[in-house]
Amino acid sequence: MKFHSVKIEAREEIGEYTLLHYRWDGPMEPGQFVMARVAGYPVTFDPFLARPFSFYDHDGETASLLFEVRGRGTALLDDAPDRVEVSVPLGRGFRVNGTDGRVALLGGGIGVAPLKVLSRRLDALGVPHDVFLGFADARYAAVAREFPGAKVATVDGSEGVQGTVLDAAPDLDRYAAVYACGPNPMLAAVKRAAREDMLCQLSVEERMGCGNGSCNGCVVPVRDGGYVRSCIEGPVFDAEALAW
Amino acid sequence: MVVRERIAGEKLAVEMCGITLDTPLIPASGTLAREALSEVEGVYGAILPKTTTPTARSGNPPPRIAETPAGMVNSIGLQNPGVEKFLEGLDAFDLGVPVFVSVAGDTVDEFVALCERLAGDIRISAVELNLSCPNVEHGGLTFCAGPASVQEVIGACRAAIDKPLFTKLTNEGVVANALAAEEAGADALTVINTIPALTIDIERQSVLVRGGLSGPAIKPVALRAVYDVSRSVGIPVIASGGVSTGTDVAEFMLAGATAVQVGTASFVREPEEILREFSDYLDRMGTTASELTGAL
Repeated sequence: MKFHSVKIEAREEIGEYTLLHYRWDGPMEPGQFVMARVAGYPVTFDPFLARPFSFYDHDGETASLLFEVRGRGTALLDDAPDRVEVSVPLGRGFRVNGTDGRVALLGGGIGVAPLKVLSRRLDALGVPHDVFLGFADARYAAVAREFPGAKVATVDGSEGVQGTVLDAAPDLDRYAAVYACGPNPMLAAVKRAAREDMLCQLSVEERMGCGNGSCNGCVVPVRDGGYVRSCIEGPVFDAEALAW
Repeated sequence: MVVRERIAGEKLAVEMCGITLDTPLIPASGTLAREALSEVEGVYGAILPKTTTPTARSGNPPPRIAETPAGMVNSIGLQNPGVEKFLEGLDAFDLGVPVFVSVAGDTVDEFVALCERLAGDIRISAVELNLSCPNVEHGGLTFCAGPASVQEVIGACRAAIDKPLFTKLTNEGVVANALAAEEAGADALTVINTIPALTIDIERQSVLVRGGLSGPAIKPVALRAVYDVSRSVGIPVIASGGVSTGTDVAEFMLAGATAVQVGTASFVREPEEILREFSDYLDRMGTTASELTGAL
């Protein structure tokens, strides 16, 4: 896997999340991800592997990644002084062409990450859409301010309605399509809540080893039996293709 | 690319089992996807796709990988589409260098059937037997659980195929198994496979991944195995285990390897960098790859 050393342009703390902006003027698609790490081999023997992050935003010159510090890899990225190493954009993103009618975007926790750039793309395509976000509590929900008009739910009720993201989106049925990212149980619930004839695309969050299809570590079960790699065949899947 | 032109050249070429490799680097089985081939053009002296089995295997349920210091533990479960679909897609692995095919079966008969199936395919230069899978006829012990088992499966495969036959061995009992493999007719030995390992999810207080450890963490173990095996057998040794830098390649060749597999390291850096570092080492020492083998 090839990594590029990129300059950190800016860093923001948004509630419990970190938003890292770096210079990237290459192409990318909403829903795609990068493998990122703090420094080049062999500095990073521990943690050894890079980490996958969805693009949060991209304006053509600057890309940004939204993440939560959960372990040593993300802690090091959070502390990175001026440069990080990133791969090129990877994976299969959201398919937004041919969407007819109003669209719902659902994010759970850090699954909010790819919805910003997706929303930007839908705006550019003139596709009307509403954003629904679910978080554990108000500290995490702080990122919702980046999504004007978004409806918010928190598990503890400290912001928005109490419950999950689906409680913030009670009438999902009236949308033509739903795009969602979050933990697997949330995505499974979104799939159950969506109409069968609805375009429903789910971005999965899986641990990855390589990011380029080689290690077969990031698989998800599919309806036809067996597993497929979320880094190549995903991370965005048609809901009907997934086994759960 | 400029770099590739610069690092190409005869100083990197090695020969084994009558096959010329433009460079001594080979991808370790199961670490190079078809989708990643464009990243390694001109780097590897041969291509070795993921192990194939007689029929499709869906592999193990996730989690399949866990990161460890200087490495990772994996338990993929030989996910693959089965040998027929594998052969249908094999042309995609043609980078103009020899293609080696890794095979695994549940029984000796399955290994033999795979060798017979591959024997007449001119696209394939050599076959690597992955003996790390359980032998269902022997209570689930792996095929490399001991010399008798190694000898049985290699002997049977030897009769089924004329192509060079490589045997991939695990670290445990590696010298005795290497001698048995040579005796049974193996043409080369790949040393070593991943090392049995376990990771635990401390929050859930459960096993995270029970599988095989790979990466720089196992390099000294692999180096010892390559060194010991090279001094015990007369057939070429292909090193595998934690190779991550150009000087790692040189160390394994000095220890006796003729060729060197790169696996887990390719997840965190470009194999081309490893080759460039190795080439720089050769220049600095004023030597060639083939002169390095066993030159301790």
